[in-house]
Amino acid sequence: MDNNELWQSVLAQMQFHISKANFATWFQNTEIISKEDEKITISVPNAFSKEWLKNKYYKLILKTIHELNSSIKELEFIIKPQALKKFTEKEVKETQESEKIEVGQLKFEEFKVNKETNLNPKYTFESFVVGSFNELAYAASLSVSENIGNTYNPLFIYGGVGLGKTHLIQAIGNKINDNPKKKRVKYISSEKFVSNIVSGIRNHNIDVFKASLSSIDVLIIDDIQFLAGKDKTQEEFFHTFNSLYEKNKQIILSSDRPPNAIPELEERLRSRFEGGMITDISLPDYETRLAILKTKLQEKNLKLPEDVLEYIASNVKKNIRELEGALNSLLIYYKTNNTIPNLETTKRLLKNFVFSPFNVASYKKIVEIVSKFYNLDEKSLFNPTRRKEIVRPRQIAMFLLREELKYSFPAIARKFGGKDHTTVIYAYKKILQESEINNKLTEELNIIKQRVYSG
Amino acid sequence: MKIEVLKENLKKNLNHIERIVGKNLSLPILNNVLITTDDNFLSLTSTDLELATKVWILVKIIKKGKVIVPAKFLSMFISSLPNEKIIMEAREQNLYIECGSFKTQIQGYNPEEFPIIPEFKDREYLEIDNKKLYQGLFQVVDIASQSQNRPEISGIYFSFLKDQMKIVATDSFRLGEKSIHLEEPVKKEHAFILPQKSAREIMNILEDKEGAVKIFFSSNQILFELPMKEVAHPQIQITSRLIEGEYPNYQDIIPHTFKTSVVLKRDEFLNQIKTASLFSGKVNEVKVSISKEKQELEIFSASHDVGENTSRFAAKVEGDSIGVSFNYKFLMDGLLHIKSSEIVFDISKEEGPCILRPVGDSSYLYVVMPIKSM
Repeated sequence: MDNNELWQSVLAQMQFHISKANFATWFQNTEIISKEDEKITISVPNAFSKEWLKNKYYKLILKTIHELNSSIKELEFIIKPQALKKFTEKEVKETQESEKIEVGQLKFEEFKVNKETNLNPKYTFESFVVGSFNELAYAASLSVSENIGNTYNPLFIYGGVGLGKTHLIQAIGNKINDNPKKKRVKYISSEKFVSNIVSGIRNHNIDVFKASLSSIDVLIIDDIQFLAGKDKTQEEFFHTFNSLYEKNKQIILSSDRPPNAIPELEERLRSRFEGGMITDISLPDYETRLAILKTKLQEKNLKLPEDVLEYIASNVKKNIRELEGALNSLLIYYKTNNTIPNLETTKRLLKNFVFSPFNVASYKKIVEIVSKFYNLDEKSLFNPTRRKEIVRPRQIAMFLLREELKYSFPAIARKFGGKDHTTVIYAYKKILQESEINNKLTEELNIIKQRVYSG
Repeated sequence: MKIEVLKENLKKNLNHIERIVGKNLSLPILNNVLITTDDNFLSLTSTDLELATKVWILVKIIKKGKVIVPAKFLSMFISSLPNEKIIMEAREQNLYIECGSFKTQIQGYNPEEFPIIPEFKDREYLEIDNKKLYQGLFQVVDIASQSQNRPEISGIYFSFLKDQMKIVATDSFRLGEKSIHLEEPVKKEHAFILPQKSAREIMNILEDKEGAVKIFFSSNQILFELPMKEVAHPQIQITSRLIEGEYPNYQDIIPHTFKTSVVLKRDEFLNQIKTASLFSGKVNEVKVSISKEKQELEIFSASHDVGENTSRFAAKVEGDSIGVSFNYKFLMDGLLHIKSSEIVFDISKEEGPCILRPVGDSSYLYVVMPIKSM
């Protein structure tokens, strides 16, 4: 007879000896948790039950158990507080519904975060919309979550702001964490990683932080590009990386650009990042944007007319976060006025999103971002020099001014210190041709464009 | 059991213990108060199995014993008696009371049926000034979450570290934190989550009482003890269960950098929000616009059914001009818990957490999340 059966038969007999109310009050949530030779340990939910059972029913329980199993001579009661109540699906749904009503009121989002893993449970694979722009990253993530440490290690995902990097890497963590085979997952943002190391150095207990990382199975670090230029942190990270990697532990990284485009990143780190799988997430296309909108609406349990959705999808294209923002302002309109916004109201409400000043590329912005991307002074772009490291960015800037802003060639020439317009034509053609064959250049151009458009 | 006690004394102490006695249908024995003699004291005990209150009264004991009778009923009856000496006697489960010209018999139950109040074996405790604890609890107790789907934030979080004690409550929309300086630093770090009901009960008993309260720790229970003035013996003990679970890392949500910081008059702000609330509509939204250039604050609210309202007043503004919307109830709750005439209002960013705190007092802060603006 196992412990469970034993306790059930004890309870069955106890019912005859005590009143129903007493039985329900004192025996609720009790169980046998261990049986050693002559002693049985019974867990009770609180101190009241413990005192009561110990003082009032000890003899009765012992006698009943003794009849069933004559070797038992002693009982012990320990308090085992009830695990936090698990909610049925229906209850969870109800609370979610009630939360939806207060769509406008913001919450401390951090509270939802799992304290041990730092993961936010709202990010799952199920809620991730897959399109041509992210299917590779999605497939790689899925396969990593199923085959930890063996398929792609490290997994490196990059892409612009608000495109779902964090969603994806947290979804991996959540999936692994939900797996009954307990793997220890830890999600850290780069910022947190740096601040932990800094405070470790300051308080002379950096070992504590290191030890906390050495025992985990899956390490997820978000926005790794922020490690750029932080040498001590890079060094610590390098050691952590190596020790985990050697033990076949999974490492997942995200960044807004590929490893070779992160400036001031130590070579040994860069090569390690490139040793696994590198995959990107680019801007979603129109169809995917529409699909994303529909998924979000479903999550929020609301319907909007098709033409409104099409309007949003075709006009808000900066990133997915923006898309959600646009949707939210429509939701607030709906909650306050209780009418579903039509196309006209949508146009009015989304004025900010569609004609946001950040959305527009400008001469100044292109120059600024190109020079920043190649780690140059803005001024040096205009230097009449033929040094290769400057010529190339200058050509790219010219190319973008032509391509994105439709500047005339002579106008561009004037901007760049009165060069001949044929120079500009040459630059434009050269970059255009090369971008068709050279993948790395296309990549760079895409990143620059993304940044120009995402403010 | 036979004792003599003054009516006022008995009445006062019955008030303390009867509050937690509710209608308990599944275990009717909990509707009773346990009256026992304990050395030279008469002790009264009540419990709802989450919380137990026990009080001691100095009385003249003629014969030892114990009895249980319905608590609310006894309290009502004692109130109606003249202010004189009462003689209480227990005979065969029933309670006989003599006072002045009254002779009464109250039906009792078997005292053995009454739950046993868990004892504290661990005698480790710390002492804290009553007034400070009361004041601290007062500033946070109402903020705790009413919803039961996250039990850990439905209670009040206490944390003790070195010479600091922090009392925290949140409902995930706002958060209050009170720091209290401890005269004697704690040796070990302690933290626990006290159910809101227990916190209210403790406040009720501490109110207008001088002196210090002792807090005893154990792994799943907590004991608050108020000593007697005349002799070295506890006067009141409240034992409460604790809420299991880990309190969220609340420090993470308190912002440290701000876009805008405003110093303003509390009463003016409070009054204008009250007025604005009349126009705030279903979502309780009031919009606070802070202007750096004009050094003033504008409060705007509008509702389709009622109309709209704008008011403004002068304030010391540092940082950028900014506009943020709030649920007026959350703003008012924060302001009502701050007593200083001037307050600091810090805004971290649009749609980010904001802080209200008294000027010149860093022991209290109230963090509130805004409403998403259109």
